[in-house]
Amino acid sequence: MKMMFYDLHVHYYPGIDEDAVKMGYSGLVFVKSSEELSTADNVENSEADNAKNSKVNNTENILISSETHYSLSVFKGIEIKAKNQEDLKRKVKKFRKKAEVLLVQGGDLKINRAAVEDARVDILSNPYYGRRDSGFNHVLAREAARNNVAVEINVGYFLKNHNHRRGKILAQFRELSKLKSKYNFPLVITSGAHSVYGLRSPHDLMELAACFGMDKKTAGFALSEVPKTIIKHNQIRNQIIVSGVRFFK
Amino acid sequence: MNKNKSKGPQKLKILPTHLREKKRYLAFEAISQIPLNREDVISLLWDGANDLYGACGTSKLELWVLKVWKCPSTQHNIIRGIIRCKRGSLGEVRSILPTITSFHGKSVVFYTRGISGTINSAVKKFIILKGQEE
Repeated sequence: MKMMFYDLHVHYYPGIDEDAVKMGYSGLVFVKSSEELSTADNVENSEADNAKNSKVNNTENILISSETHYSLSVFKGIEIKAKNQEDLKRKVKKFRKKAEVLLVQGGDLKINRAAVEDARVDILSNPYYGRRDSGFNHVLAREAARNNVAVEINVGYFLKNHNHRRGKILAQFRELSKLKSKYNFPLVITSGAHSVYGLRSPHDLMELAACFGMDKKTAGFALSEVPKTIIKHNQIRNQIIVSGVRFFK
Repeated sequence: MNKNKSKGPQKLKILPTHLREKKRYLAFEAISQIPLNREDVISLLWDGANDLYGACGTSKLELWVLKVWKCPSTQHNIIRGIIRCKRGSLGEVRSILPTITSFHGKSVVFYTRGISGTINSAVKKFIILKGQEE
Protein backbone atom coordinates (compact mmCIF):
# COMPACT_ATOMS: atom_id res chain seq x y z
CA MET A 1 0.00 0.00 0.00
CA LYS A 2 1.33 3.37 -0.93
CA MET A 3 2.43 5.50 1.99
CA MET A 4 0.92 8.96 2.28
CA PHE A 5 3.40 11.50 3.63
CA TYR A 6 2.50 14.55 5.64
CA ASP A 7 4.63 17.49 6.62
CA LEU A 8 3.34 19.06 9.78
CA HIS A 9 5.45 22.22 9.89
CA VAL A 10 5.72 24.29 6.73
CA HIS A 11 5.13 27.95 6.03
CA TYR A 12 2.95 28.99 3.15
CA TYR A 13 4.44 30.44 -0.03
CA PRO A 14 2.70 30.62 -3.41
CA GLY A 15 3.47 27.46 -5.34
CA ILE A 16 4.11 25.23 -2.35
CA ASP A 17 1.38 22.83 -3.39
CA GLU A 18 3.04 21.89 -6.68
CA ASP A 19 6.49 21.59 -5.14
CA ALA A 20 5.23 19.42 -2.30
CA VAL A 21 3.30 17.10 -4.60
CA LYS A 22 6.36 16.77 -6.83
CA MET A 23 8.44 15.66 -3.87
CA GLY A 24 5.85 13.13 -2.78
CA TYR A 25 3.77 14.69 -0.03
CA SER A 26 0.04 14.07 0.35
CA GLY A 27 -0.67 16.64 3.01
CA LEU A 28 0.76 19.78 4.60
CA VAL A 29 0.10 21.86 7.66
CA PHE A 30 0.64 25.58 7.17
CA VAL A 31 1.92 26.95 10.44
CA LYS A 32 1.71 30.54 11.58
CA SER A 33 3.35 31.89 14.68
CA SER A 34 1.18 33.00 17.58
CA GLU A 35 2.90 36.39 17.58
CA GLU A 36 1.77 37.11 14.03
CA LEU A 37 -1.78 36.20 14.90
CA SER A 38 -1.99 38.30 18.06
CA THR A 39 -1.10 41.43 16.12
CA ALA A 40 -3.31 40.65 13.12
CA ASP A 41 -6.86 41.84 13.42
CA ASN A 42 -8.56 38.81 12.04
CA VAL A 43 -7.18 35.30 12.00
CA GLU A 44 -9.20 34.48 8.91
CA ASN A 45 -7.94 37.15 6.52
CA SER A 46 -4.52 35.96 5.58
CA GLU A 47 -2.90 35.18 2.31
CA ALA A 48 -2.62 31.51 3.04
CA ASP A 49 -6.26 31.24 3.98
CA ASN A 50 -7.35 33.09 0.89
CA ALA A 51 -5.28 30.92 -1.36
CA LYS A 52 -6.50 27.86 0.43
CA ASN A 53 -10.13 28.85 0.29
CA SER A 54 -10.03 29.69 -3.36
CA LYS A 55 -9.17 26.18 -4.36
CA VAL A 56 -10.41 24.18 -1.43
CA ASN A 57 -13.49 22.19 -0.71
CA ASN A 58 -13.92 23.52 2.78
CA THR A 59 -15.41 20.51 4.42
CA GLU A 60 -12.65 18.21 3.33
CA ASN A 61 -9.57 20.43 3.35
CA ILE A 62 -8.30 19.23 0.03
CA LEU A 63 -6.37 21.50 -2.31
CA ILE A 64 -6.67 20.47 -5.93
CA SER A 65 -3.73 21.47 -8.02
CA SER A 66 -4.99 22.17 -11.48
CA GLU A 67 -1.75 21.38 -13.26
CA THR A 68 -0.71 18.10 -11.79
CA HIS A 69 -4.21 16.83 -11.01
CA TYR A 70 -3.04 15.55 -7.67
CA SER A 71 -4.82 16.52 -4.52
CA LEU A 72 -3.10 17.70 -1.41
CA SER A 73 -4.68 17.91 2.03
CA VAL A 74 -3.92 21.17 3.80
CA PHE A 75 -4.50 22.14 7.39
CA LYS A 76 -4.00 25.17 9.56
CA GLY A 77 -1.46 25.12 12.31
CA ILE A 78 -0.43 27.58 14.96
CA GLU A 79 2.90 27.64 16.73
CA ILE A 80 2.97 29.06 20.23
CA LYS A 81 6.00 30.80 21.66
CA ALA A 82 5.54 31.26 25.38
CA LYS A 83 7.71 32.87 28.04
CA ASN A 84 6.60 30.81 31.00
CA GLN A 85 3.99 28.27 32.08
CA GLU A 86 1.14 30.72 32.73
CA ASP A 87 1.72 32.40 29.38
CA LEU A 88 1.64 28.97 27.75
CA LYS A 89 -1.64 27.98 29.37
CA ARG A 90 -3.24 31.24 28.34
CA LYS A 91 -2.10 30.88 24.76
CA VAL A 92 -3.15 27.24 24.50
CA LYS A 93 -6.60 28.17 25.70
CA LYS A 94 -6.77 31.02 23.21
CA PHE A 95 -5.51 29.25 20.12
CA ARG A 96 -6.71 25.68 20.58
CA LYS A 97 -10.03 26.26 18.83
CA LYS A 98 -8.53 28.25 15.95
CA ALA A 99 -5.90 25.75 14.89
CA GLU A 100 -6.18 22.30 13.48
CA VAL A 101 -2.71 21.47 14.71
CA LEU A 102 -1.18 23.19 17.72
CA LEU A 103 2.57 23.35 18.11
CA VAL A 104 4.54 24.68 21.06
CA GLN A 105 8.05 26.01 20.53
CA GLY A 106 10.30 24.21 23.01
CA GLY A 107 13.80 24.93 24.23
CA ASP A 108 13.21 26.12 27.75
CA LEU A 109 13.00 23.17 30.15
CA LYS A 110 10.02 24.61 32.00
CA ILE A 111 8.09 25.16 28.77
CA ASN A 112 8.98 21.65 27.58
CA ARG A 113 7.59 20.24 30.82
CA ALA A 114 4.43 22.36 30.74
CA ALA A 115 3.73 21.53 27.11
CA VAL A 116 4.19 17.82 27.55
CA GLU A 117 1.85 17.72 30.55
CA ASP A 118 -0.96 19.47 28.67
CA ALA A 119 -3.10 17.10 26.61
CA ARG A 120 -4.47 19.98 24.51
CA VAL A 121 -1.08 20.43 22.86
CA ASP A 122 -0.47 18.40 19.70
CA ILE A 123 3.23 18.77 19.09
CA LEU A 124 6.19 19.94 21.12
CA SER A 125 8.42 21.51 18.54
CA ASN A 126 12.22 21.51 18.87
CA PRO A 127 12.72 20.66 22.56
CA TYR A 128 16.45 21.06 21.88
CA TYR A 129 16.20 24.59 20.44
CA GLY A 130 19.16 26.67 21.52
CA ARG A 131 20.40 24.00 23.92
CA ARG A 132 23.50 21.87 24.13
CA ASP A 133 21.60 18.82 25.38
CA SER A 134 18.50 17.38 23.86
CA GLY A 135 16.05 19.13 26.19
CA PHE A 136 14.16 15.89 26.75
CA ASN A 137 14.58 13.21 29.37
CA HIS A 138 12.79 10.12 30.55
CA VAL A 139 10.38 12.05 32.79
CA LEU A 140 9.23 14.19 29.88
CA ALA A 141 9.07 11.12 27.66
CA ARG A 142 6.75 9.34 30.05
CA GLU A 143 4.47 12.37 30.31
CA ALA A 144 4.41 12.80 26.55
CA ALA A 145 3.43 9.19 26.05
CA ARG A 146 0.69 9.51 28.63
CA ASN A 147 -0.78 12.75 27.29
CA ASN A 148 -0.28 11.83 23.64
CA VAL A 149 1.87 14.85 22.87
CA ALA A 150 4.11 14.38 19.86
CA VAL A 151 7.70 15.58 19.68
CA GLU A 152 8.98 17.13 16.51
CA ILE A 153 12.34 16.54 14.90
CA ASN A 154 12.78 19.54 12.64
CA VAL A 155 15.15 18.80 9.80
CA GLY A 156 15.23 22.50 8.89
CA TYR A 157 17.02 23.19 12.19
CA PHE A 158 19.65 20.63 11.22
CA LEU A 159 20.04 22.06 7.72
CA LYS A 160 20.39 25.71 8.55
CA ASN A 161 23.31 25.07 10.88
CA HIS A 162 26.84 24.69 9.61
CA ASN A 163 28.86 21.53 9.75
CA HIS A 164 30.54 22.03 13.08
CA ARG A 165 27.12 22.17 14.74
CA ARG A 166 25.46 19.42 12.78
CA GLY A 167 27.21 16.64 14.67
CA LYS A 168 25.84 17.96 17.95
CA ILE A 169 22.37 18.28 16.50
CA LEU A 170 22.44 14.70 15.25
CA ALA A 171 23.38 13.64 18.76
CA GLN A 172 20.33 15.51 20.10
CA PHE A 173 18.10 13.78 17.57
CA ARG A 174 19.64 10.48 18.56
CA GLU A 175 18.68 11.06 22.19
CA LEU A 176 15.10 11.74 21.18
CA SER A 177 15.02 8.65 19.02
CA LYS A 178 16.40 6.48 21.84
CA LEU A 179 13.78 7.78 24.27
CA LYS A 180 11.08 7.17 21.71
CA SER A 181 12.02 3.53 21.36
CA LYS A 182 11.84 3.09 25.14
CA TYR A 183 8.77 5.12 26.06
CA ASN A 184 6.92 5.14 22.74
CA PHE A 185 5.62 8.70 22.58
CA PRO A 186 4.64 9.93 19.11
CA LEU A 187 7.51 11.37 17.10
CA VAL A 188 7.17 13.36 13.88
CA ILE A 189 9.76 14.50 11.38
CA THR A 190 9.13 17.80 9.64
CA SER A 191 11.00 20.16 7.39
CA GLY A 192 10.05 23.61 8.63
CA ALA A 193 10.27 24.96 5.10
CA HIS A 194 9.82 28.62 4.25
CA SER A 195 10.44 28.19 0.52
CA VAL A 196 10.99 25.42 -2.00
CA TYR A 197 14.63 25.26 -0.87
CA GLY A 198 13.52 24.06 2.53
CA LEU A 199 11.37 21.16 1.38
CA ARG A 200 12.90 17.68 1.40
CA SER A 201 11.61 14.52 -0.16
CA PRO A 202 10.13 12.13 2.45
CA HIS A 203 11.98 9.06 1.18
CA ASP A 204 15.28 10.90 1.49
CA LEU A 205 14.42 11.93 5.04
CA MET A 206 13.68 8.31 5.88
CA GLU A 207 17.20 7.39 4.80
CA LEU A 208 18.70 10.34 6.68
CA ALA A 209 17.02 9.08 9.84
CA ALA A 210 19.52 6.22 9.87
CA CYS A 211 22.17 8.84 10.73
CA PHE A 212 20.53 9.51 14.05
CA GLY A 213 19.60 6.01 15.01
CA MET A 214 16.06 5.54 13.73
CA ASP A 215 15.29 2.52 11.63
CA LYS A 216 13.52 3.08 8.36
CA LYS A 217 10.19 1.78 9.60
CA THR A 218 9.97 4.20 12.53
CA ALA A 219 11.08 7.06 10.31
CA GLY A 220 8.43 6.15 7.76
CA PHE A 221 5.83 6.13 10.49
CA ALA A 222 7.08 9.49 11.75
CA LEU A 223 6.36 10.92 8.32
CA SER A 224 3.08 9.17 7.54
CA GLU A 225 1.11 7.42 10.26
CA VAL A 226 1.85 9.66 13.23
CA PRO A 227 0.91 12.91 11.42
CA LYS A 228 -2.21 11.24 10.10
CA THR A 229 -3.20 10.17 13.60
CA ILE A 230 -2.64 13.67 14.96
CA ILE A 231 -4.80 15.22 12.26
CA LYS A 232 -7.55 12.65 12.66
CA HIS A 233 -7.56 13.05 16.42
CA ASN A 234 -8.04 16.78 16.03
CA GLN A 235 -10.99 16.35 13.78
CA ILE A 236 -12.89 14.64 16.57
CA ARG A 237 -11.33 16.61 19.44
CA ASN A 238 -14.38 18.69 20.10
CA GLN A 239 -16.46 15.54 20.53
CA ILE A 240 -14.26 14.16 23.26
CA ILE A 241 -15.56 14.63 26.78
CA VAL A 242 -12.98 12.69 28.79
CA SER A 243 -10.23 10.40 27.62
CA GLY A 244 -11.91 7.41 26.02
CA VAL A 245 -15.39 8.93 25.84
CA ARG A 246 -16.73 10.49 22.68
CA PHE A 247 -20.00 12.27 22.09
CA PHE A 248 -22.05 11.23 19.07
CA LYS A 249 -24.96 13.35 17.98
CA MET B 1 58.57 -5.77 -33.19
CA ASN B 2 57.22 -3.46 -30.57
CA LYS B 3 53.47 -3.29 -31.08
CA ASN B 4 52.79 -1.64 -27.72
CA LYS B 5 52.53 1.99 -28.73
CA SER B 6 51.53 4.17 -25.79
CA LYS B 7 48.51 6.16 -26.92
CA GLY B 8 48.33 8.65 -24.08
CA PRO B 9 46.98 7.53 -20.65
CA GLN B 10 46.86 3.74 -20.44
CA LYS B 11 43.51 2.22 -19.51
CA LEU B 12 43.22 -0.70 -17.12
CA LYS B 13 41.66 -3.88 -18.37
CA ILE B 14 38.05 -4.19 -17.18
CA LEU B 15 37.53 -6.54 -14.25
CA PRO B 16 35.75 -9.85 -14.85
CA THR B 17 32.11 -9.90 -13.79
CA HIS B 18 32.63 -11.92 -10.65
CA LEU B 19 35.03 -9.27 -9.30
CA ARG B 20 33.17 -6.17 -10.38
CA GLU B 21 31.21 -4.19 -7.80
CA LYS B 22 27.50 -4.29 -8.46
CA LYS B 23 26.10 -0.83 -9.12
CA ARG B 24 22.88 1.06 -8.79
CA TYR B 25 21.82 4.25 -10.58
CA LEU B 26 19.98 7.03 -8.74
CA ALA B 27 18.04 9.64 -10.71
CA PHE B 28 17.87 12.99 -8.96
CA GLU B 29 16.52 16.45 -9.59
CA ALA B 30 18.04 19.68 -8.28
CA ILE B 31 16.34 23.06 -7.98
CA SER B 32 18.69 26.02 -7.57
CA GLN B 33 18.84 29.79 -7.66
CA ILE B 34 21.81 29.87 -10.02
CA PRO B 35 22.28 27.36 -12.86
CA LEU B 36 24.39 24.30 -12.06
CA ASN B 37 26.45 22.14 -14.37
CA ARG B 38 27.98 18.71 -13.92
CA GLU B 39 31.15 19.90 -12.15
CA ASP B 40 29.08 21.87 -9.66
CA VAL B 41 26.98 18.80 -8.89
CA ILE B 42 30.13 16.70 -8.45
CA SER B 43 31.64 19.13 -5.97
CA LEU B 44 28.34 19.55 -4.07
CA LEU B 45 27.85 15.81 -3.80
CA TRP B 46 31.41 14.95 -2.77
CA ASP B 47 31.54 17.78 -0.24
CA GLY B 48 28.21 16.72 1.18
CA ALA B 49 29.37 13.11 1.43
CA ASN B 50 32.62 14.14 3.11
CA ASP B 51 30.77 16.29 5.61
CA LEU B 52 28.25 13.61 6.52
CA TYR B 53 30.32 10.41 6.34
CA GLY B 54 33.93 11.55 6.30
CA ALA B 55 36.68 10.38 4.02
CA CYS B 56 36.35 6.73 5.07
CA GLY B 57 32.61 6.53 4.62
CA THR B 58 32.65 8.28 1.27
CA SER B 59 35.19 5.84 -0.08
CA LYS B 60 32.83 2.97 0.62
CA LEU B 61 30.04 4.51 -1.48
CA GLU B 62 31.91 4.57 -4.84
CA LEU B 63 30.07 7.67 -6.02
CA TRP B 64 30.13 9.02 -9.54
CA VAL B 65 27.96 11.57 -11.31
CA LEU B 66 27.26 10.27 -14.80
CA LYS B 67 25.35 12.90 -16.68
CA VAL B 68 23.26 15.99 -16.06
CA TRP B 69 20.43 17.43 -18.12
CA LYS B 70 18.89 20.87 -17.98
CA CYS B 71 15.13 21.09 -17.60
CA PRO B 72 12.92 23.88 -18.87
CA SER B 73 11.37 25.94 -16.11
CA THR B 74 10.03 29.42 -15.55
CA GLN B 75 11.14 30.50 -12.10
CA HIS B 76 13.98 28.27 -10.92
CA ASN B 77 16.89 26.49 -12.57
CA ILE B 78 16.13 22.78 -12.61
CA ILE B 79 18.52 20.03 -13.61
CA ARG B 80 18.16 16.27 -13.56
CA GLY B 81 20.94 13.75 -13.48
CA ILE B 82 22.10 10.25 -12.68
CA ILE B 83 24.45 9.22 -9.90
CA ARG B 84 26.14 5.84 -9.77
CA CYS B 85 26.87 4.14 -6.48
CA LYS B 86 27.57 0.72 -5.02
CA ARG B 87 24.64 -1.64 -4.65
CA GLY B 88 24.49 -1.76 -0.84
CA SER B 89 25.15 1.94 -0.29
CA LEU B 90 22.01 3.39 -1.81
CA GLY B 91 20.59 4.35 1.57
CA GLU B 92 23.69 6.36 2.47
CA VAL B 93 23.82 8.14 -0.86
CA ARG B 94 20.14 8.96 -0.63
CA SER B 95 20.67 10.39 2.82
CA ILE B 96 23.38 12.79 1.57
CA LEU B 97 21.01 14.58 -0.80
CA PRO B 98 18.83 16.27 1.85
CA THR B 99 21.91 17.71 3.60
CA ILE B 100 22.96 19.79 0.59
CA THR B 101 21.64 23.29 1.11
CA SER B 102 23.69 25.92 -0.68
CA PHE B 103 26.12 26.48 -3.48
CA HIS B 104 28.31 29.61 -3.42
CA GLY B 105 25.83 31.22 -1.09
CA LYS B 106 22.73 30.48 -3.16
CA SER B 107 20.15 27.90 -2.10
CA VAL B 108 19.80 24.55 -3.77
CA VAL B 109 17.66 21.53 -3.02
CA PHE B 110 18.22 17.95 -4.19
CA TYR B 111 15.80 15.08 -4.15
CA THR B 112 15.74 11.57 -5.63
CA ARG B 113 13.34 10.81 -8.41
CA GLY B 114 14.02 7.08 -8.42
CA ILE B 115 16.56 4.28 -8.45
CA SER B 116 17.27 1.67 -11.07
CA GLY B 117 19.73 -1.05 -11.96
CA THR B 118 20.54 0.17 -15.46
CA ILE B 119 21.18 3.58 -16.94
CA ASN B 120 18.64 3.23 -19.71
CA SER B 121 15.74 2.35 -17.47
CA ALA B 122 16.67 5.15 -15.06
CA VAL B 123 16.61 7.66 -17.89
CA LYS B 124 13.41 6.31 -19.34
CA LYS B 125 11.49 6.17 -16.09
CA PHE B 126 12.68 9.22 -14.23
CA ILE B 127 14.47 11.72 -16.42
CA ILE B 128 12.56 12.07 -19.62
CA LEU B 129 9.58 14.41 -19.37
CA LYS B 130 6.40 13.14 -20.90
CA GLY B 131 6.55 13.43 -24.65
CA GLN B 132 9.86 15.30 -24.72
CA GLU B 133 13.41 14.20 -25.44
CA GLU B 134 16.42 16.01 -24.11
